[in-house]
Amino acid sequence: MIYSVRHSTRYDYGSTVDLAAHLLHLRPRDLPGQRVLSAGITAVPAASRRRDALDHFGNHVTWLFLDQPHATFEVVGEAVVEVGFPAPPPAAATLPWERVAACARAGGPAAWQAAEFTFDSPMVPIEAAAGAYAAESFPRGRPVLEGLLELNTRIRREFAYRPGATSLATPVAEVLKRRQGVCQDFSHVMISALRALGLPARYVSGYIRTLTPPGQPRRRGADQSHAWVGCWLGPEHGWVDLDPTNNAVVRDEHLVVGWGRDYADVSPVSGVVLGGGAHGLTIGVDLEPLAVEAAG
Amino acid sequence: MPDGAPLDEMVDGAGGFRPHWRPLLGALADLGRGVLAERALLIDRFFADEGVTSLLAPQDGTPATSWRCDPMPLILPAAEFATLEAGLAQRATLLEAVLQDVYGPQRLLAEGALPPALIHANPAFLRPCRAPEGRRDGPLLHLYAADLVRAPDGDWRVVADRTASPTGLAHVLENRRALSRHMPEFLRSRELRQLGPFFDIWQDALQDLAPGAPGGNPGVALLTTGHASPLWFEQVILSRELSCALVEGGDLTVRDGVLYLKTLRGLQRVDVLLRRQDGRTIDPLELESSMAHGIAGLLDAARGGAVKIVNDPGTGCAEAPGLAAFLPRLAPRLLGEALRLKGARTLWLGEAEARAEAEADLDAWLVRRAVDGTIHSLRPSSLEPESRAALLARIAAAPQDFALSEVLTPSVAPCVGAEGLVPRPVMLRLFLVFDGRGWRALPGGLVRVLDEARPGPTVTKDVWIPAEEDAAIQGPRGSGFAPLPIRRTSGELPSRVADNFFWLGRYLERLESAARLLRAGASRLSRASPTPRELAELRSLFACLVRAELLDAETAKAGAHGLGARALTRALLRAMCEGGPVAAQLGRVSHLAELLRDRLTGEMQLALHQGLRQLAAQIRPVPQAREETLGLERLEEASNAILSFAATVAGLAAENMVRGGGRLFLDLGRRVERAQAIAAEIARALDQPGAAAQPARLEPGLRLALELRDSVITYRSRYLTALQAGPVLDLVLADEGNPRGLAFQLAAARDMLVELDGDAESPLGLAAGQLLKDARAMVRDVATAAAQAEVALGLPPRLRAMEGAVAALSNRIARRYFTLLPAAHSLGPAAPGGRLRGAA
Repeated sequence: MIYSVRHSTRYDYGSTVDLAAHLLHLRPRDLPGQRVLSAGITAVPAASRRRDALDHFGNHVTWLFLDQPHATFEVVGEAVVEVGFPAPPPAAATLPWERVAACARAGGPAAWQAAEFTFDSPMVPIEAAAGAYAAESFPRGRPVLEGLLELNTRIRREFAYRPGATSLATPVAEVLKRRQGVCQDFSHVMISALRALGLPARYVSGYIRTLTPPGQPRRRGADQSHAWVGCWLGPEHGWVDLDPTNNAVVRDEHLVVGWGRDYADVSPVSGVVLGGGAHGLTIGVDLEPLAVEAAG
Repeated sequence: MPDGAPLDEMVDGAGGFRPHWRPLLGALADLGRGVLAERALLIDRFFADEGVTSLLAPQDGTPATSWRCDPMPLILPAAEFATLEAGLAQRATLLEAVLQDVYGPQRLLAEGALPPALIHANPAFLRPCRAPEGRRDGPLLHLYAADLVRAPDGDWRVVADRTASPTGLAHVLENRRALSRHMPEFLRSRELRQLGPFFDIWQDALQDLAPGAPGGNPGVALLTTGHASPLWFEQVILSRELSCALVEGGDLTVRDGVLYLKTLRGLQRVDVLLRRQDGRTIDPLELESSMAHGIAGLLDAARGGAVKIVNDPGTGCAEAPGLAAFLPRLAPRLLGEALRLKGARTLWLGEAEARAEAEADLDAWLVRRAVDGTIHSLRPSSLEPESRAALLARIAAAPQDFALSEVLTPSVAPCVGAEGLVPRPVMLRLFLVFDGRGWRALPGGLVRVLDEARPGPTVTKDVWIPAEEDAAIQGPRGSGFAPLPIRRTSGELPSRVADNFFWLGRYLERLESAARLLRAGASRLSRASPTPRELAELRSLFACLVRAELLDAETAKAGAHGLGARALTRALLRAMCEGGPVAAQLGRVSHLAELLRDRLTGEMQLALHQGLRQLAAQIRPVPQAREETLGLERLEEASNAILSFAATVAGLAAENMVRGGGRLFLDLGRRVERAQAIAAEIARALDQPGAAAQPARLEPGLRLALELRDSVITYRSRYLTALQAGPVLDLVLADEGNPRGLAFQLAAARDMLVELDGDAESPLGLAAGQLLKDARAMVRDVATAAAQAEVALGLPPRLRAMEGAVAALSNRIARRYFTLLPAAHSLGPAAPGGRLRGAA
């Protein structure tokens, strides 16, 4: 699938902002299974200084600095991306989950990068309760992907999708207790649960297509940036992305921008301003298919 | 591991004195018994007087206390020090290589030579500081310190590495200063390597770090942890030793990828930032958003090469205790040689072999957290059975979170005790700086006496390295830079500092004026029943006291009718006592004096510090039963003490501080405060109800005006005794020669504002000039009138307007010079799911 994505973020400030610094994770990265055909970021007013680089995780990051007084700021990320992630291996053929955890713990050439995603992170502490929740799906010796798929399904079934019920400040333990939230809550719960078992899990930030083919249900989390979970199957099969909000395996309806340990590592737009007072925020995301190609 | 008998630094195995101690012991023998204990007290007092605070938080959680230094130094032979220097230089080089890899290609992790748990799970590993492509200019480590203990086998072992922002250097200097002053006999006993050259080398090294062409005059600034931090004292000293600006996060701003200091003259470029603040909070854009301290865009400026931050914000991760387990293996790999200086043997429990060894006898080890070196180590065998079991359970659940280190019996050194010298265990901290080519150690150090059984603050020791005959003489480079342009004003003064001086001036003046009012009150209350004329005067005085918030309106009202003399006495005493407005004023002055510590000369500091301490003692409450007899006397005494304190400080400022810069703002604050108070007091003195009919009733008000302005004698010498409105008001309102009068304040403020702006047409200067004209006009109206008293009685509304206008001028000064930028806050980024992120 080839998608065109447009992600706009607009701030309307209560009073003039004299200086502003913005940190953006808006440009999708190239991956096996994802090719970025074009991408651009534009801002109004234009930044007085712009820097682009790759961050620690290999994501594209852009800094914009504004040093002229302004009352509104709008930044738009646009990209055309071809997506077609390969199907995951047969679940029964994957390693027992304990082997995957042991492999991550050992680190070394095959596993050191995955190991980084087994530790506590600022927004995702490893909660024992989350581990207990996941344990049901991971009896001894079960192939890791079987457990992951079941956990993905359980979160979709047992948690209510309720925008507004939580905020970014809602801790994982609270989401786990109240069993409701939005995509980043479900992702954080699943990440905490997997890390509690010693399994590497990373937070993936991106988009999901807005309109599905006729007859299929509309996807949750469209029209906004979306988030899901990257799960490690061991050195041989590497990472597979699961979307607990939609009980889906990521194939060709998702577009990856980047990943990190949790939301804070890859938040799409953040910043620090001097002045400004209270501000209004308007966000819009459109992900439209351009053409259908033979997905690889 | 058996705990062997400790090695004695001074006494050898045969009971004799080691040779390098002999000269000092000779000096000690000459001193005689009992002298050491006296000197120890003198040194304690020396630190208390200078306000040297402890940087080592006491173990038992009590608040920070004064610094303590034992009169007996620790002496290290020159050859032994050279060995330690070489060993620590190698260790610093190794840690630098590890950091370069961890913040660069991470080959050590990829190849399994370092476990991810010690880096990726380490909160001090700062991902935004990583340059994955491996392009980086210059070293990450610039200042390094190590804690060492000497094991019974005679070898020093490293027990902790300090790579984030090592502390204690200022205290080394202070210890040496204290011993130079109070133990001169010891210092004469032998020639020591001096500490000064190290700071010269350090200063040169900092300047060499500046990006851009060499030979410019680089801007070097020390980023403090703030005046409330226990480390503030040390940072003040360091900024002086290194001749760099002492700045807080709020003083700095990044524009177009360049770091600037906000000063009165505008933005001044900073090329090198000596970081004392936690690297984790240094840039709210990319790291933790703690708005109080960080500088948004700082990391971007550093990545762009416009500013060099030392130590690099991410260097703290090399302090992880677990890392020490890997250094012996990493040294051959990264440096091609073995470690020269041993560390205490360390096991990281993330490794299976380590766990196997630990299980054999866990009680033989010290348990530490694997990545956080600030958490105290525990000896399992010394814990209660329950705590021990809990600790073992935590280790079993997450072994990778723990490291074990070898239990070492530290050497003992002679310390002054009540009964003479006592051997006590010691830990040594040594400091090294990278001069661009290699690591150079401070020829001295800091010893902590490890006596956990003894209560009270930690005792420290100076460390002496005897000079060698042919030691090279090292002085400051002092050349190689373009000559500095001559500057006569201090436009580089950070706005925050100017703000603090301005308010110090205002508060000192407010304190003085409160003392004057309270003294006037006390002298009147001690009289017997007042005459009607005295009552009129009292009414005005009470109005002034109420305005200055020294008296409540109810008590004043009763007092104005000649009632409630006891209640009045009590109210005025309360104003002067602890918890009252005068004490609060003293507190504000103390606070600002502390904030400005780095800007005041030693003499000014001492005068403020001692004066404030004495005043605080003087305003203790009077027992209620004795309020009436003792109270008024005490009130007058305290008022006089405050007035004499204020006069001392003003005199020292005039004699000791360079005109311009801080002094200008101190003066300006004083003038503005005084002008406002004069307008307010004279308005109340002239406000005499019923006097319109009997102009003679104005006289008490005029007399009070002269008294409060300390102008009685001047008036008498000019006009003998007759009090007339015109001459009195001329003296207190329009005479520019009277330093207690309004015109003097306004003229001085006008001149200073013009000087600050460097422009005769400065809007603020013009505003002050206009107020001066208004003051003159008031007096002219009175003096030229046929019935002076009647016109004078009409002045209060104009004086109140003047009071308001001076307050408005003060606000304009603050806006113009102090608040350059509004406060920063985090923006709500767009969260997935459409939720907003609250302002951090």
